[in-house]
Amino acid sequence: MVYSNPVLFDKSVTIVEKFTVRQDCRKILIISAEPKEADAIQQLIDEINGQTEYELIEFNDETQLSHVNEILDQQKMGTQLYISAKWEDAVSIFAAAIEAGFSEGEIQTLISGKKKRYVYCLKCYHLQEAAAEETDIVCDHCQISLEIGPFFSRERKGYIGYPYNPAFATTN
Amino acid sequence: MYESTNLDLFPYPFHNIKEGSNYRYSNDLRKLEKDHTNCVVITPEYEKQIKRKRELLKEQPAVRFQSYPHTMAMQWEVVEMLIEMAVDRYPEHFQVEKNGNHWTFHNYILNETESFIFGDASSIELEPLDLIGRHFTTDFVLMVHRDDNLYLEVAQESYAALFSPHWNKGMTFDEIHAPVPFVSRTGVPLAERVRNFLIRNVLPGEPWTRINWNLMANRWDVNYETFDTWGPTRFLVTPENAGDLVRLRVEEQFFYRMPRSNAILFVLNTQFLAMKDLVLRPEWLNQTYSILSDIPKPMAEYKGFSPFIEPTVEYLKNLVEKIEFQTN
Repeated sequence: MVYSNPVLFDKSVTIVEKFTVRQDCRKILIISAEPKEADAIQQLIDEINGQTEYELIEFNDETQLSHVNEILDQQKMGTQLYISAKWEDAVSIFAAAIEAGFSEGEIQTLISGKKKRYVYCLKCYHLQEAAAEETDIVCDHCQISLEIGPFFSRERKGYIGYPYNPAFATTN
Repeated sequence: MYESTNLDLFPYPFHNIKEGSNYRYSNDLRKLEKDHTNCVVITPEYEKQIKRKRELLKEQPAVRFQSYPHTMAMQWEVVEMLIEMAVDRYPEHFQVEKNGNHWTFHNYILNETESFIFGDASSIELEPLDLIGRHFTTDFVLMVHRDDNLYLEVAQESYAALFSPHWNKGMTFDEIHAPVPFVSRTGVPLAERVRNFLIRNVLPGEPWTRINWNLMANRWDVNYETFDTWGPTRFLVTPENAGDLVRLRVEEQFFYRMPRSNAILFVLNTQFLAMKDLVLRPEWLNQTYSILSDIPKPMAEYKGFSPFIEPTVEYLKNLVEKIEFQTN
């Protein structure tokens, strides 16, 4: 894994509310790991309308998901990837796709359920989950108060958590 | 805490600003003249600074030094450059003996010797840049050029200001400077413009420089990791104590294109001057007072000194008036 590779995070450019078809590609590969999103997949296929070659791969359990690297490695240049999955599965599929050579411009990701957001404590370097709307959090490892900043690190896989002294909270 | 005592060596940041003009952000890079490309400087505070730098590196290695395993060859290239500069400028303080790849570096100021096989990381206990960096007072950041951007791959920083080698590891130049809220007159983000300028103009044998400045309230390094400690101290400054507590923090930056790796080495020389010492150079005092009284709020916010800019300006105003009164 190259450190400068993109990773999936809650504000990733590849995350979409609805799939859109790109007609300028040679093939569309749909990886569906979430049966609940069958309607969205069908809508995509309807929209493709036979204009572009497509392949639908459905994963129903983790064992099948372990083959994702192999499938992605076999794809040719010009393939557009559509990922439909819950957060954790989407993260794995996305990482495998990047590793196989896909760029972010060639991927659309539809998350089923909640996206996850992580904060990196700059006092003790612990990564923890934070709710989407939270602006402050207490580090569950070192218990320091953290102000969640807008900057994300691919290396640390989270948003910056500035340690601060709550006694001076109004000025931070 | 150390302060500059030899003002001839202090990189006063406002030299190029015309008298009576104000300070605004701009691309202020300047090419170093042919005979002035050596970044090694020994100040009277050398030993004090090295002692503190090594303490910080020892106490918090993960905070102060970061690198990727694939950077060894580029780190050795920096070792070679710094040793050559040190020996060239201060032969009375530094010497190197080379027996093939077996090198022995002597630091006579500290009475220390480093022996290693050049290019062989297993011959030393620290990583190459971490080892050689402990002989120089400056901080070092190695930015690797790829995909039209510069990526931070190695950093040894003990005087970080709103920066952290640990946090900024692997980031692009743009990501590191993402908090810079300013755009140029043409609407291009300043960080992007400076990045492109560095990539285009910093060439092998043609280093550049610029001076960055800030104000610090009784603190040497203001890294992200210790924000909870130094953040509140900014509110303790008053017009009465600003002369002692507030320092002009100057970061003289040098940019070298490394010929073999094509990376750009950032060398950062950080020096401090207490507000009360500005009086030693009355022209500096007057100009600093004039510039600080006219700092726009967003800039003070970005630089992190908005909590104590007012008492500092008040202190300088009183000092300027006092000097004027004494001379009249």
